[in-house]
Amino acid sequence: MIFEILAVGLIISAILALFLDEVVYSVAALAGTFLFTALIYVENGAFFAAIFQFAVGVGTLAILFLSGEMLGDKPTKKTSTKRTGALIGVGAVLSLPAIFLNVSGSTATNSNLDFGDALWNVRGLDVVLQAIVILTVALGIAIVLYEKKKKGDQ
Amino acid sequence: MDFVILSLVMLVIGIYGLLTNRQLLKVFISVELIATAATLNFVMLASSTGAGLGQAFLILAFSTDTAVSGVILALLVIVSKKYGTSDMGKIIQMLQDKGESEDEAQ
Repeated sequence: MIFEILAVGLIISAILALFLDEVVYSVAALAGTFLFTALIYVENGAFFAAIFQFAVGVGTLAILFLSGEMLGDKPTKKTSTKRTGALIGVGAVLSLPAIFLNVSGSTATNSNLDFGDALWNVRGLDVVLQAIVILTVALGIAIVLYEKKKKGDQ
Repeated sequence: MDFVILSLVMLVIGIYGLLTNRQLLKVFISVELIATAATLNFVMLASSTGAGLGQAFLILAFSTDTAVSGVILALLVIVSKKYGTSDMGKIIQMLQDKGESEDEAQ
């Protein structure tokens, strides 16, 4: 039952994030989407995934709040309560197939591969390479900003 | 309850938003929803089979997702600085008007 409630909340918050006129409310609804996703992961025992989803979600939301306030165009009209209610209704209807239909077959394989093994023994090279790429990007940004500051001082 | 259909619905919502919204911030939100749908499918499949590999792939998917977000935000900043708006409709209109005025000048 909890899973169904979380699924309905996930779809409704996704719909609101896309179709509310005010950017700040959209970002708040997107926060709800990330929260419901993390809760669904916890409900299924995927704690690592939930923690990562939460951490990445918080970072994305912080950037979105700032850029939404600074760069987003101000809406000419506010979203009416009627429209918000209609969006929630559409979200609830769209979540019905996920609750009542079933297309998954039996997928149980009883693999004994746990998260740490999978990350470091099976995908270790990918993880290290991605870490190098991310560090290089961060270093590049730092160098560009430093050069810019140096030019500004001169 | 079926997680495949749940992630499919999320994917459809994200693609619909990507096609219909003209605000670049909403486009960014649509891309985030599509990425969430994909990771949801990974994690739920992994937890239903009892394997940790799906969660490991999730970490890799998150780094890709973050890189995509960075590129979209950079585009958003550049477009907003250059045109003073993040509305694609207004930007296209501005470019069309500029093209017409250049044609008239020639």
